[in-house]
Amino acid sequence: MKKRVLALLMTAAMVSTMLTACGGSGSTSTDTTTPAADETTPAAETEAATQAPEDIDYGTGEIMVWVAENVQDFTEDQIAAFQEANPQFAGYTVTVQPVGEGDAANNMLTDVAGGADIYGFAQDQLARLISAGAIAPVTGDYATFVNEQNDAGAAAAATVGDTVYAFPITSDNGYFLYYDSSVVTDPTSLDAIIADCEAANKGFYMEINSGWYQPAFFFGAGCTLTYEADAEGNFTSCNTDYASENGLAALKAMIALHKSPAFTNGSDLSKATNPGAIVDGTWDAGVAQEKFGDNYACAKLPSFTVDGKTYPLGGFGGFKLIGVKPQEDANKYQVCLAMAQFLSNEETQLARYEEAGWGPSNVAAQQSDAVKADEALSALAEQLANTIPQGQYPNDYWSLATSLGDSIIAGDYDNASDDDLMKVLEEFQATCESYAQ
Amino acid sequence: MAKEPKVHMQHKKLSNAIAYVVLILISIIWLFPFVCLVLQSFRSYILESGGMVNYLLPKTFSLDSYKFLFSKDCQFFRWYGNTFIIAFFVTIFQTIFILSVSYALSRMRFKGRELLMRLWLVLGMFPGFLSMICLYFLLKEFGLTQEGAIPGLILIGFASSGMGYYVCKGYFDTIPKSLDEAARIDGANRAQVFTIMLIPLSKPIIIYTALVAFMAPWCDYIFASYVAFGYSDSYNVAVALRRWVWTNDYQGYFTRFCAGGVLVAIPITILFMCLQKYYVEGVTGGAVKG
Amino acid sequence: MSKDKKPSGAAGKVTGFFKWLGADLADIGTTFTKGDWKTKVSFLIMGFGPLMRKQFLRGAAFLLLEIAFIYYMAAFGIGYLKDITTLGTSGRGFNPDGTVSYGDNSFLILLFGVLSIILILLFLYVWRLNVYQNKIGEQMLREGKKLPSSKQDFMSLLDENFDKTLMALPMLGVFLFVMLPIIFMICVAFTNYDANHQAPAKLFTWVGFSNFANLFSFGSTGFGKTFVSVLIWTLVWAFFATFLNYFLGMAVAILINKKGIKFKKLWRTILVMTIAVPQFVSLLYVGKMFAADGLINGYLMKWGLISSAIPFWENATLARILVIIINLWVGIPYVMLICTGLLMNIPEDLYESAKIDGANPIQMFIKITLPYMLFVTGPFLLTQFTGNLNNFNVIFLLTTGKPQSMNLTGGAGYTDLLVTWLYKMTLDQTDYKMAAVIGIMVFIVTAVISLVVYNVLPSVKDEEGFQ
Repeated sequence: MKKRVLALLMTAAMVSTMLTACGGSGSTSTDTTTPAADETTPAAETEAATQAPEDIDYGTGEIMVWVAENVQDFTEDQIAAFQEANPQFAGYTVTVQPVGEGDAANNMLTDVAGGADIYGFAQDQLARLISAGAIAPVTGDYATFVNEQNDAGAAAAATVGDTVYAFPITSDNGYFLYYDSSVVTDPTSLDAIIADCEAANKGFYMEINSGWYQPAFFFGAGCTLTYEADAEGNFTSCNTDYASENGLAALKAMIALHKSPAFTNGSDLSKATNPGAIVDGTWDAGVAQEKFGDNYACAKLPSFTVDGKTYPLGGFGGFKLIGVKPQEDANKYQVCLAMAQFLSNEETQLARYEEAGWGPSNVAAQQSDAVKADEALSALAEQLANTIPQGQYPNDYWSLATSLGDSIIAGDYDNASDDDLMKVLEEFQATCESYAQ
Repeated sequence: MAKEPKVHMQHKKLSNAIAYVVLILISIIWLFPFVCLVLQSFRSYILESGGMVNYLLPKTFSLDSYKFLFSKDCQFFRWYGNTFIIAFFVTIFQTIFILSVSYALSRMRFKGRELLMRLWLVLGMFPGFLSMICLYFLLKEFGLTQEGAIPGLILIGFASSGMGYYVCKGYFDTIPKSLDEAARIDGANRAQVFTIMLIPLSKPIIIYTALVAFMAPWCDYIFASYVAFGYSDSYNVAVALRRWVWTNDYQGYFTRFCAGGVLVAIPITILFMCLQKYYVEGVTGGAVKG
Repeated sequence: MSKDKKPSGAAGKVTGFFKWLGADLADIGTTFTKGDWKTKVSFLIMGFGPLMRKQFLRGAAFLLLEIAFIYYMAAFGIGYLKDITTLGTSGRGFNPDGTVSYGDNSFLILLFGVLSIILILLFLYVWRLNVYQNKIGEQMLREGKKLPSSKQDFMSLLDENFDKTLMALPMLGVFLFVMLPIIFMICVAFTNYDANHQAPAKLFTWVGFSNFANLFSFGSTGFGKTFVSVLIWTLVWAFFATFLNYFLGMAVAILINKKGIKFKKLWRTILVMTIAVPQFVSLLYVGKMFAADGLINGYLMKWGLISSAIPFWENATLARILVIIINLWVGIPYVMLICTGLLMNIPEDLYESAKIDGANPIQMFIKITLPYMLFVTGPFLLTQFTGNLNNFNVIFLLTTGKPQSMNLTGGAGYTDLLVTWLYKMTLDQTDYKMAAVIGIMVFIVTAVISLVVYNVLPSVKDEEGFQ
């Protein structure tokens, strides 16, 4: 188990070096279940190699695509370009519907047959989708494409067991700190930020009742929580040590945070009415610039101090993926795979960055000047050094984490002794472990 | 003796003054959210902020949010139209269904009548959300989801409405049966009694039934989103608007949500105010009859 | 249906049923043995007898029903019905070229299996009707009477059989869109249909009572503790939501009705606006107003009344109180409308004579107004109470059931009602089996309360009492 965690940490470190330094070649991962990029081949080559021969008759059909509304028009244009470049697929009518990454997985799970043929989703949904049979494996040249062209974390995120299931499109699903530089003077220490916010009557926003933001404390304090899943999407084992001294430190830090009058639970900047600083992701960069104006600034997450010891805030590095629904028609399956690949290749990722600011997962695209100059993305890249690539988590975990967070915010543990807190952590850990069979 | 009425008068004046104060307070509380809603809708999402703010009055008055709804980037009027179409047909069919059932149960004594009423009462005790997933797949078998969601929602809207016959039947029960008998002696059959005699007598309850039926589709944000299933052309206005505040894909859509909400509320409120008299008659009758 | 009134109790009912069944079977037998050849053929080809006896409409209806039934079963029903005991055996597989081939679909097997069973029962009933029609037809001819013609049959649908015309479609609608789904979901409560067993990719199957056992298991992962907590809150909520609304609504109505108050219509109209504005707009907005960084907290802090935000939605107790209070905002107008009309029905001389006896307004309220109102609105209170047990909108739009807690499992929160919990289980967790179990529990709670209250209500016992 330790080995796997180590591997994950290493891949994380690698991602960050590739993002920040002008990395030409990555390193190999020691984890067998994580097919990492051995070398980054120029995009154009594999592009040509994976393109299907033009003389096959692919017939006709309809393809439904689900993407977030802010890239709906963009995706429509890209698909038109794709069909123009590949006239053999012209028989297919493509409809793009605005169903965001959050809703897509839930909808797919409700009715696979009625769901989209190609859809974007956040990686934490992958195991669920596999388990419900809502996503088809990506094989052959396409799997090679995923592994070779994307950063290792993204490729690992698209892989469950030994099978590649999806095409990564972003590797920006992480979080860092946006702050108002007229309020926050020292963004490196949580205590200082809180003090500044309190003094200025501003809020410090962090969604500690979310299973996604909460691990910033736990992982930062040195805890782990990972699951292993088989190729069917079933969770086979859970690897966690929340019920430990480190976990206790993390929990105490969150309790201390909630006690501050400046603390507000939340991560949606457009709904935050009085933010001095917020832990949020790149998708809110535009809102942040608007809210903070000239004082807009971002940085990696601060460190927090418990009982005299200082820990950096950690967290998840996540990815957005594009998946293809299992198809009964072989031709349509091929068209869908080709289209999903096109929607996740270097050019499209770069164009999507230009259009909507989504940070690419494609290694070559990450090296473009525009991406490297992006303030928010570089803050994220710095933060990624302290995070682990987000693997697969059972759906129940998210709800459990919300429960823990809500209990903290409600003040249930305000006067709890260390022993009581340890009991809470033990229960949390036991419940987490019970999700894996 | 002469003093007493004066004290009484002062007492009355005082108590009336208190009553007015209380009523004004109540009015403020009840109107406050609506006033806020309208105020928010006039905040510009371009110049100020489209998200939430902790002040009430927009810094400048702007119609940007409304302009967005009318622009071609936004399908608002398609959703609005969808909802209107659904509401219109549901109103017609549901009124017919409820009137039919009420007449049959109020005027006719047939085999299994008691059993049927009891069965429907029992069925009504199951929560509606229980069968949501099943209804979705049933509709899908008929091709009435996604592209076909509008007819699907109309069908679902009225299909089981017969179960809500209580108020209307209660009203029919109050119309003397001797009127029926007289008409039948004159040679009218039951269908004629129903259509020619009873329906014209039931104007208030028909308007009440229609009003309730018309309002329901505007508020359906759960089942309608299930049936439309990611097909945005088939959304109704509630499903579409709710996404603007509930999903993270829409940053800063709050003022536009408010503007949309105002546009939905205006026609319904006007309709409601005009027909308030019948509505009151309906709920009061329904409450007493149970 | 309830001809057997003599034997009482469940056992009596069972024996009564068997007696009836025996007699019925005997009747079918004698109809066959004593019937002519037309009747005998009708046992196989429905409607044959009526057709031969020139009752074309009836005959054709029976025949068409039989053809439709046979067609449905042969083409469709049998395929699903045969698997109903296992809910499917062959799973999904992937072909070498990467495409998928789906096997059995447990969901459709269960749905159409249930539908087929119901249709078979209905068909048996129609068949029995067909036999009865033959018997009656024969009898009438033997007695020298004329059988009703098709035209008469048709016209009767507008007169003495008008109920059948009126009820046909509404009953079909209720059957197809209410009853069938409910029976289906009751069945689901006995299967393992959840996120890990989802059609079409995976099969689910019967598991007996294990879901119910899970609901009542009080271990750390069992639902027992959470279920009890949610159930108690549901009842507490329904109680306060009903009676607070009722009394305060009545108070507002009395206030507006008070002599000497002007603009009565205006006050009413202001209140009634809450009914007209869709709740998903108004409640979503009100909910955000009370957020930690919302309008209310913002102004309270700006005015220096509080130093840190009041955790309206984060603290379980505060959240529970607040949903009840906001529900007043939603519910008072309804009660006010209803009470306004009823209050005016109370005879004025009752108050006059009380006044002469020296009663003060409060005494008059307790002695005259309240008993009258309680009597008249008893059924309304009952429906309000059961309605509040299932009051989805207010809870879901305001809190979505939050705050959650480590003390509760299954994603439930402190303001969750059974029905919002059920919804979250269906949509967020696709745990259909537990959602079905909770749905059944909601039904049981509603049914028990309705039954108990119904038998206590005075206005139900003597309905004509006050009239």
